[in-house]
Amino acid sequence: MRSYWALARGSFMVGLVYRFGFLFSILGNIIYLGVAYYLWRSIYQGAETLRGLTFNETYLYVALGSTVFILLKTYADWEIAYEIREGIIAVHLTKPLDLQLLMLAYSLGATLMNLAAITLPTVLILTLVFKVSIPLGLGLALFPLSLLLALLISFCFDYFVGLLAFYIDSNWGISMTKEIIITVLSGALIPLQFFPAGLQAVLRWLPFQAIYHTPLMLVTRPDQGWETFLPMLGVQATWAVVLVVLTRLFYGQAIKVLRIAGG
Amino acid sequence: MRTLARYLRLYFIIEAQYIKARMQYRADFLVSSIGMFFSSLATLAVFWILFNSINDLAGWTFMEMVFIYAFYMIAISPMQILFDHFWQLRFHIRQGTFLKYYFRPLNMMFYYMSEMFDLKGLTQLLVGIGLLIYASTQLEISWTAARVILLLVTLFSAALVQVAVVLIATCAAFWVVDSWPVLGLAWKLREFAPYPMSIFDGAFRFTFTYIIPIGFVAFYPSQLFLRPEQVSPLVYASPLIGIALFALMYWIWTQGVNSYTGTGS
Repeated sequence: MRSYWALARGSFMVGLVYRFGFLFSILGNIIYLGVAYYLWRSIYQGAETLRGLTFNETYLYVALGSTVFILLKTYADWEIAYEIREGIIAVHLTKPLDLQLLMLAYSLGATLMNLAAITLPTVLILTLVFKVSIPLGLGLALFPLSLLLALLISFCFDYFVGLLAFYIDSNWGISMTKEIIITVLSGALIPLQFFPAGLQAVLRWLPFQAIYHTPLMLVTRPDQGWETFLPMLGVQATWAVVLVVLTRLFYGQAIKVLRIAGG
Repeated sequence: MRTLARYLRLYFIIEAQYIKARMQYRADFLVSSIGMFFSSLATLAVFWILFNSINDLAGWTFMEMVFIYAFYMIAISPMQILFDHFWQLRFHIRQGTFLKYYFRPLNMMFYYMSEMFDLKGLTQLLVGIGLLIYASTQLEISWTAARVILLLVTLFSAALVQVAVVLIATCAAFWVVDSWPVLGLAWKLREFAPYPMSIFDGAFRFTFTYIIPIGFVAFYPSQLFLRPEQVSPLVYASPLIGIALFALMYWIWTQGVNSYTGTGS
């Protein structure tokens, strides 16, 4: 475990090199917060609630969503594809380490860096400049746990697509397709409540909404009881376990076909 | 004029070879095109979901939004297809491989852009054309010869705006170590182009109209076809804005090329 911790710390430190980049990320976030404000204001057009959500709730959801988005994108797929192309992955495989845990450790380090450098400043701006109040409640207390499960699920998708690079040389199209499917179907851009009823009923059971919709709803509507939150977290935890098991089984297959040219 | 003809001929020769080389990797072409197809439809899916709860967005109907979005798709595809190599400019500059572009009796920007022709971008163009035909049939827009010419002119200038904004951001690589953040920001801003600019006010509307004029990539020129009676005189100036921005971008590029000293590695 100690060696994985060291890897996570290393990837956290790498983030420090790109301080200039964080400024632009925060700037991009602020512009997005503004655009989202105007967009949703014109969608609500003065209506009290839409689909059971007030303007403030929806805006908090969408605004927080954009910063959570940065946290949960692990880029493990791009990393693995790059390492196969360059042959670096061979070096990893000779180490007495588990590839999945190694990639997870990298992702965790980068996520912690982004949390400190992008998410926290954006949340501060959100509350101080845009005057959005974050309501307190049980949901907020469960948010960190839910976010951790969401990271695990998101990572499993990225890692799975990364393993596909063992089979095909071209990763751009697959990564892009995965990204669009997750972004649209997870409620990262629009709360699930706005989806057509039939689609919503299906999406609630899929792993995509467990990445963004679940943790974001915990913050948007934190004043509900265990009877609401427990099933939400249950679906999340189940998918996390299922996806970890599936990706581990898939790794066992994929490793057999891996060919590395050069290095 | 003769130079232009020569460059065009050269461009076709270079791209023909490039496409032949890429076609060695048919699976890559197919998978990338599928990815491009999905990413072309993402924002449209967002509009579709939103219009389940609302009838109009700041007075614009869903079909009008589809038209604006189709215009946007077509306007951004020249950037994708012809200028895709600029995504790698920062790597070439940092690793010193950019030096090779100084050693040919060719315009450097031409030489650099000709090294890549993004085939998957054709998917984006096709999606855009398909949606434009669909939306204008639904909206019963009558395409007179004059309108078609107007469409081509406005699409051309919208494409110039889009190319100029992104390329100015990539040129940052000549002066800063990692230009990715600047490029990422420009790319993110571009995504706001298909939204009605009328939803914004204050600093945002001013910025998107005059400073980083992404409003001219899709929304303002689309008004010429959707609501010709409401168009502000500024929209008729959009070809000039496209050309002026492109010229500015070329000037910045020239400054960057002249100041580049290599990395010594």
